[in-house]
Amino acid sequence: MAIDKLTGENSLAFIKSEQLFDYARSNSLWYLAFGSACCAIEGLMHASGPRFDFDRMGVFFRASPRQADVMIVAGTVNLKLAETVRTLYDQMPEPKWVVAFGACANTGGPFREYPNVLLGVDKILPVDVYVPGCPPRPESIHFAFRELQKKIRGRAEERLEARRDSR
Amino acid sequence: MRPDVTAVDRALTSFGSKYSVCDAQVGIIVACDQSDALPILQALRDSELDFAMLLDLFGRDVDGKIEITYHLRSYSRDQELYVRCHLDHDGDLHSVWTVYPSALMPERETAELYGLTLSDHPNPKRLLTTDGVPPLLRKSVPIRTVEEVRSR
Amino acid sequence: MTEPHFTVTESGLMTPEGMYIPGEPPKGIRRIPKGVDRLGTEHLIVNMGPQHPSTHGVLHLIVELDGEEVVTVEVSIGFLHRGIEKLAESRRFDHLGTLMDRGDYVSVIHGEQAVALAVEKLMEIEVPAKAAWIRTLTAELTRLASHLVWFGTFGLDTGAMGQFLYAMRDREVLLDILEEISGQRMMFNYVRPGGVVADLPTGIESRILSFCDTFEVYLEEHDALLGGNEIFQARVKGIGVVSKETALAFGLTGANLRASGLGFDVRRDRPYDAYPELEFDIPIGTIGDSWDRYTVRMEEMRQSLRMIRQLVGGMPGGPFTAKVPKVLRPPAGEVYASVESSRGETGIHLFTDGGTTPYRMHYRAASLFTCQLFEEILPGHLFADACMLLGSFDIMLGEVDR
Repeated sequence: MAIDKLTGENSLAFIKSEQLFDYARSNSLWYLAFGSACCAIEGLMHASGPRFDFDRMGVFFRASPRQADVMIVAGTVNLKLAETVRTLYDQMPEPKWVVAFGACANTGGPFREYPNVLLGVDKILPVDVYVPGCPPRPESIHFAFRELQKKIRGRAEERLEARRDSR
Repeated sequence: MRPDVTAVDRALTSFGSKYSVCDAQVGIIVACDQSDALPILQALRDSELDFAMLLDLFGRDVDGKIEITYHLRSYSRDQELYVRCHLDHDGDLHSVWTVYPSALMPERETAELYGLTLSDHPNPKRLLTTDGVPPLLRKSVPIRTVEEVRSR
Repeated sequence: MTEPHFTVTESGLMTPEGMYIPGEPPKGIRRIPKGVDRLGTEHLIVNMGPQHPSTHGVLHLIVELDGEEVVTVEVSIGFLHRGIEKLAESRRFDHLGTLMDRGDYVSVIHGEQAVALAVEKLMEIEVPAKAAWIRTLTAELTRLASHLVWFGTFGLDTGAMGQFLYAMRDREVLLDILEEISGQRMMFNYVRPGGVVADLPTGIESRILSFCDTFEVYLEEHDALLGGNEIFQARVKGIGVVSKETALAFGLTGANLRASGLGFDVRRDRPYDAYPELEFDIPIGTIGDSWDRYTVRMEEMRQSLRMIRQLVGGMPGGPFTAKVPKVLRPPAGEVYASVESSRGETGIHLFTDGGTTPYRMHYRAASLFTCQLFEEILPGHLFADACMLLGSFDIMLGEVDR
C-alpha cells in the first residue's frame, strides 16, 4: 500500500487503524545506540554518517532503551554482557524488534570456540533480521531495515486476516 | 635496549642468592620467587637503572606451573628488563601495585584467568568474567570443539 | 569537611583567582581539588554504562558523586572479553592477524603488523623493501582513519556535533582507499608474516595523493572548527592533567604519554618496517591536560600525512612478500615485538614450541593501561568533565577486554 499516491486534492484514504499504526511504525524505526564491538563502527557510526545517511529512512538513534523500537545487536555477546543485553531488551517498550548484526551476533563468529562467548544472540532474545558478515557493510544495515519494514507492514495484514478468519 | 648484567647485579646486591640473571633470546631475565618480586621490583625501580614503568604483566601455563612475567622499561636509559617467577596452580599472587600501579588490572586479569588467588590487592575481584567461569587461559581448560559449535 | 572553594560576598563571587567579573567566564570554580567533600550530603552512586553513548563501547564505570563532583570511580570491564589470547593458541601463525584485527578494531593494521613482526623475528625472515613500505603506508592511512574516529567522537563528548559528520566524510574516502588496497572496509587482514597479501592496485598512488591534497586543507578546517572553538577550549584546557610521573606509574604509552611530556615513540625509538627511512617529528605536550592530548593527536595526523607523501613518492619496486612456507613453523623460543598503534604501544609476546600454532600469545593492549588510569584521574572532576575525559584518552574496548 502506498499512502503517498493518495495524497492529492480532496483525497481520502480508507485504512484500517492497525495498518496505519504499523505503517507509521515502519517509517520511524528508532534504534537503541548500543554498540558493543567492531560491528558498531560500521553498523551504527558509518551507517549514520554522511554517506550512508540512515536518517532519511526515519531511522534515528536513541540513547535510552525506553524510547527505542529496534535494538541492533552489533557485536559479540559474552556471558557478562548477555545480562545487560537482555535487560536493555526488557526495558524497551512493545512493539520491539531485534536485528542481529554481524557474524558474532548471529552465531558467535570468529570467537565461537571460546567458552565465554554466547553462540548467537538468539539464545537470549527473539531476533527478527539476521545480517551476515564480519563486519557487514553499512549498506547491509539498510537492507536489514528494509526487510524489517516489510515484516512490520506484513504483520498488520496478517493480523487483519487472522481476525477475518475468526469472525 | 638490554641493560648490563653487572648493572642489574649491582642494583640487586642486597638480595644475595634470592635471584638469578640470565641473558635469554627475548632479553635480560631476572628470575626470583614471587614473594620476593615486590622488593626486587622496588630495588630495580629506585636503582640507577631507573625502570620507571611496568610495561606489561602476564602469565603463562608451562610445565605444570604458572609463570608470571613482569616487563619493565626505563625511558631515561632506553632499556628493557624482564622479571620472571613461577607459581603453583592455585598459588598466591602477591600484588606489586604499591611499586607499579599499572599492575592493578593486569594482576586481576592474570589471577582470574589462571585461577590464582590475589593478595595485598586493593580490589581483588574478578575483572573480565562472571562467577562460575573456569580459569580460561589454563591449558587444561579446553575450547569448544567443532561439534559443539555446529550443534549450537 | 574542608573549606569551600569559593565564597559569595556582598560585592560578588570570590574565587581563588580573584574577584569574579560579571560577563567573563568564571575562573577557578571548575578546578576542585581532590578529596573535597563540600556538600556534606549523602553520596550518590551512578552506574555509567555498559550502555552509555559516551563510554565508547561497553565500559562500565561505577561513579560515586558528591553533588556534581566525582569522589571515587571503579572501572568495570570484561563485557567484550572474547578470548583472543586463548583462541590464538589454536590458530596457525598466518591466521593470527584475523584475531588481532578484532582486538583494536579501529586501528587494524597495527595489530596485524605486531604479530607479523613477532613471527618474522622468530623465523628470521627478511621482509622485502616494498612489503615494508606498503605496510608502513597502510599503517599510516589506518592511523589517520583511527584518529578521525577519535576526533569525531571526542567532539561529540564535548557537545559538538558538526565535526563528527566531517570526520566521517573523510574517513569514508580513506576506507575506500584501504578497501581498494586490501579488499575489506574494516578488517583488512592484509599484513602477513613475510610481507603483505597482495600488491598495491594500479593507480592507487594518485588516489592517495589527491586524498592527501584535499585532506590537508580539511584537517586545518577540522582543527579550526573544533580546536578553534572557545567553548571547546574552555571545556578541555586544564582538565584532566596527567603528570609525567602518573603517566609512567600507570603505564601510559603513545599519544597519551607524549602529551604528558615524554617523547617516546616506538616508530622512532624501536624502528620497524620503513620508519627508519622516513622523516617525521614527534609532537610532545607540556602539562598533559586534555588540550595537550588533543593537539598532540592533531599534530600526529599532520605528520602521518607527511609520511604518506614520502611513502607514495619513494615506493621501491620488487616483490611484495618474502618467500615463506605455506605453513609457518617457527623454532621454539620467545619474542616480543611492538608497534606504535593509534592508542599507544601494541606489543605481542609470542611463545612457540616448534609447532604450527603458538604456545602462548600475549597481547599487550595500550587501552587497558589507559583504562585503569580513570580510577586515579577522574576523582576531583565534575561529572560532565568525566565524559569528556573518557573521550580525550581514546580507548578502544575491544583492546581493553581482548
